[in-house]
Amino acid sequence: MKNKSLMLVPFIIFAVLCVFLLKGLFGNPKEIETGRLGQTMPAFNLPDLMDENKRWTDKDLLGEVYLLNVWGTWCPTCLIELPYLTKLRGQGVKIIGLYYEQNYDPDFGDVFDLPALQREVKGMLSRTGDPYQFNILDLNRTLALDLGVSGAPEHFLVDKDGKIILHHTGDINERVWRAKFAPKLLELQ
Amino acid sequence: MIAELGYLSLTLALAFAILLSVYPMYGAVKGNLRLMQSAPSFALAQFIFTALSFGILIYVTLIDDFTVAYVASHSSTTLPWYYKVTSTWGGHEGAVLLWVLMQTGWTAIVAFASKSLPWQLRARVLSILGFLGLGFILYTLLMSSPFERLLPYYPIEGHDLNPLLQDPGMIIHPPLLYMGYVGLSVSFAFAIAALLMGKLDNTWAKWSRPWTMAAWLFLTLGITIGSWWAYAELGWGGWWFWDPVENASLMPWLVATALIHSLAVTEKRGVFKSWTVLLAIAAFSLTLLGTFIVRSGIIVSVHAFTTDPGRGSFILSFLAIVVGGSLLLYGLRAGTVESTSRYKLFSREVALWLNNLLLCVATLIVLLGTLLPMVHKELGMGTISIGVPFFNQMFFYLLVPFSLLLGLGPMLRWKQNQYSHLMKKLVGALVVTTVITFAWLYSSYENVSTTTLVGVFFALWVCLTGAIDLLEKLSKEGASIAKLGNSFWAMHTAHLGFACVVLGVTLTSAYSVEKQVKVNPGEQVQLNDYSYRFEGVKVVTVFKDNQKVTELYAEKRQYDVGMQVMTEAAIDAKLSRDLYLALGEQLSNGAWALRIYEKPFVRWMWLGGFLMAFAGLFMMLDKRYRRKTAVAAEVKGVTA
Repeated sequence: MKNKSLMLVPFIIFAVLCVFLLKGLFGNPKEIETGRLGQTMPAFNLPDLMDENKRWTDKDLLGEVYLLNVWGTWCPTCLIELPYLTKLRGQGVKIIGLYYEQNYDPDFGDVFDLPALQREVKGMLSRTGDPYQFNILDLNRTLALDLGVSGAPEHFLVDKDGKIILHHTGDINERVWRAKFAPKLLELQ
Repeated sequence: MIAELGYLSLTLALAFAILLSVYPMYGAVKGNLRLMQSAPSFALAQFIFTALSFGILIYVTLIDDFTVAYVASHSSTTLPWYYKVTSTWGGHEGAVLLWVLMQTGWTAIVAFASKSLPWQLRARVLSILGFLGLGFILYTLLMSSPFERLLPYYPIEGHDLNPLLQDPGMIIHPPLLYMGYVGLSVSFAFAIAALLMGKLDNTWAKWSRPWTMAAWLFLTLGITIGSWWAYAELGWGGWWFWDPVENASLMPWLVATALIHSLAVTEKRGVFKSWTVLLAIAAFSLTLLGTFIVRSGIIVSVHAFTTDPGRGSFILSFLAIVVGGSLLLYGLRAGTVESTSRYKLFSREVALWLNNLLLCVATLIVLLGTLLPMVHKELGMGTISIGVPFFNQMFFYLLVPFSLLLGLGPMLRWKQNQYSHLMKKLVGALVVTTVITFAWLYSSYENVSTTTLVGVFFALWVCLTGAIDLLEKLSKEGASIAKLGNSFWAMHTAHLGFACVVLGVTLTSAYSVEKQVKVNPGEQVQLNDYSYRFEGVKVVTVFKDNQKVTELYAEKRQYDVGMQVMTEAAIDAKLSRDLYLALGEQLSNGAWALRIYEKPFVRWMWLGGFLMAFAGLFMMLDKRYRRKTAVAAEVKGVTA
């Protein structure tokens, strides 16, 4: 206990901690990276949101660069970014929606009402503009889980070979698009 | 105009905080008595102007002045007056102002309740508290003023208070916690003052003990009520989630618990002096760190729109100055302190030292669990998440040595002990505890896991060893209930409280059952011994052996203004079990989703919390702390 330098140990630990806190403070918590980045899209076989007889698999999406947008009508941020995404569609960006159903839980006796959801989605898209080529319905959230989605909205930029090039959590706006997505897209095309 | 007066008043409080942090300290260094004596008046003025400012915030909320941004986003005309009042601390800015109010309030109380202290110490303590007040007031004024206006366009109706917060438990929970956090600043101020004066004797420990106890008491109450509120209000039957906000309150509590034990050793025996100072610094530092974590957005939901690094930077700078400064001071000064008495390995000193060690390990686990994901990411090692199982498992491992010692500690004497004398009692207690544990669990339950056995064993162990110690001390010649003293009774009550918490947590974790069902009106569901009949919306009648037990009203409440729907759980509470119902969504054709829980012994957890808090109160009322002159070494051996 008489060793003076030993008494400085708490101070040193605290100083180190402060450095991390400072870095953490200015780091962006949105940059939490998915383990899928750089890998190919996980395999899936899911129905279309608007036409339950039509099914989509990972193979169907090969051959073109597209932006996969995880969204839901329950998500306020999605609502905000929809008009901008629609504008992007006008510029020729291929956007595919992955509809993330938040509430459905069959173990809890929930009954899924697809027509009601379709009406809701149509209503919402008629107000904000429809950016999607089509929407994949991920009712049991399996694909979202495979992708490491932590909420909505999230975006994955996928190349011709089905490889995930970019991942973005949170809304896409003009600034984000120019800084993050546009350069990558140019590279790919 | 009124709101601007609130801001102005707080600015005046800032002026007095500056005066308080400069003049008395300067006076103490220069030995100028007049300057030192200015401290209480500055402290009082600081408090009065802060109180005025807070009063104005309450006033503008009560008159529904929605030109004030804070009022517009946290209140509404439809709220009853008492929720309007509590809405003043329902959001960040108001909560910080409440914190400032308490900080300055404690400072004022210390100023006038410390008349027996020498001016050298009193002035320093108050100056340090003034400096802390200065930091908090400055933060409020610059970074989070609740008096900002929404002019010229303001809403005619407010946003409403978050329905989760419209609950009596939530009215008192934050103020209690803040009282605890702020109370720890007093222990901190005493420790720093002692370091500055280079006088780390047992006198400072004696003075800071009741203040630390008060802070601990409020923290305990705050955490207990917070847990109870989460259980009753959130509607999924959970009572502790190990989320950063909860951890931020648990860490100071753990260190404060270590501190009250360590202070006892320092006061009684004059050992662990520099350790106790470090704990006092750590306890308050952790409240600041907790605040930083919770308020800065460093650990946030990934989908928060924007976080304001300005606030975080301010708190971090303040943290760096206060904590860094005091730890540096500690590093430079504490090395010179020497212990004045000796003790053997098998003594109460060592038992309490181990108690401290275990509590610090527990704190470290919580701290690491909370911060590691962030550190990990900053080191570029990817993201990880640390969840409930990690904490539960770690705390289970710690429980074993901690409770073992907790039973043993009160029986040990200061300095040294004879093994043989104690061994007989301990072996007896061990056998009896084991027998009761096994007999009880195996007769009442079909499946008994090791975890449950261990948990119940240690809960009973603490009770039994406590009872043995009590009987022994009472059977001594001339002993009576009153003579043993408040501290002695407080210790045993607090330990009993701990045992209750352990018992409650163990049994409710092991034997809670839940069922999620779809019910039509008139339908009956069986869970364990009880059957539940859904009588139509809201009403559920509960039967046991065809006897009606109770009627429960599980509700969904729609809150008009914010359009939020809230689940209001219906609870039938008894000491031995809670029946807990939460209404889910309405399904097609009149059916409802219903969740039913039966939670045995869940009440014991909160009962334990309240017992501990009560013990703290009892301890504070000890006559020793109200004596005019401080008796430095008071070695009686019975109190801890």
